[in-house]
Amino acid sequence: MTKSNKPQVKIVNCETGEEIVRDATAEEIAQIELNSANAAAKQTEADAKATAKAALLAQLGITEEQAKLLLS
Amino acid sequence: MTKARNLADNALTTVSPTELGYVDGVTSSIQTQLDDKTAKSTLTTKGDVYAATAASTPARLAVGANGTVLTAASGQATGLEWATPAAGGMTLISTTTLTGASITLSSIPSTYNHLQLVILNYKPANDNSYFCFSINGDMAANRHLSSRTDADMSGTSATAFDNTNFITGKNDNSVAQGIQIINLFDYTNVVTWKFGFSYGVFNNATTTTSANVFARPLIYNQTNAISSLLLFPESGNFTSGTALLYGVK
Repeated sequence: MTKSNKPQVKIVNCETGEEIVRDATAEEIAQIELNSANAAAKQTEADAKATAKAALLAQLGITEEQAKLLLS
Repeated sequence: MTKARNLADNALTTVSPTELGYVDGVTSSIQTQLDDKTAKSTLTTKGDVYAATAASTPARLAVGANGTVLTAASGQATGLEWATPAAGGMTLISTTTLTGASITLSSIPSTYNHLQLVILNYKPANDNSYFCFSINGDMAANRHLSSRTDADMSGTSATAFDNTNFITGKNDNSVAQGIQIINLFDYTNVVTWKFGFSYGVFNNATTTTSANVFARPLIYNQTNAISSLLLFPESGNFTSGTALLYGVK
């Protein structure tokens, strides 16, 4: 039996203790892909913010610690 | 013939001086004094206790079943009864290894007051991925809120429900020594939004010897009772970890 390449999901029945591991359904795969896309988008946004912050600090000629001190 | 005369006639023949000496110092009726005492024979069995049914009226109360406790009960003859102590504390409902793309904890019993989910050593396959979960597998937009800013928690800001799921803390993909506690309060009520609190510490992905410390109120803006939880990493699979679900009374 070949191992599936689909994502695996586990269902745990808390009343019986039964655990079932199965391939994700098409709907679940779509949700997993959406989650990953959202995570990637957030990371891109965070990276862009970090880049912009670094550029601003360079423009001002101060360090991040100095900027924090100014705002504290 | 008087009783005193009888005693005088018989004492010298049937009662020794030593025996007569036993009543030395008696100043009132011996029988009355004996009647005021409680008979040891009232207690017949191991564990029996004395209990009064009224003033100066002791009675036997048999020991209760193992594990029961003695409690006041004015409706009982003795005013006491053995009762099963009220259940309290935490009960482990489920323990499972974090693996695959998601874990669904289904058919959560509705017999507890609160739930506590403990996540041990969460390790995602993708570096720096948040631990996420949703109530009842609900991934509809704008129903979950994982507060983390002062403004969110000021009690005065209009904070929007902005996610399809809760996000808590994020962890490195090679070192996993963290723990997270998620408390979900009054999870069976069908009147209020559901509220929880997540706090914990995970390994920082850049410097694994440093800690990602987090504490977030979690709000789900639906009134359904919680019967299942869908756990998943922000992206990719779980590599390892353990989820323990407790019922709290």
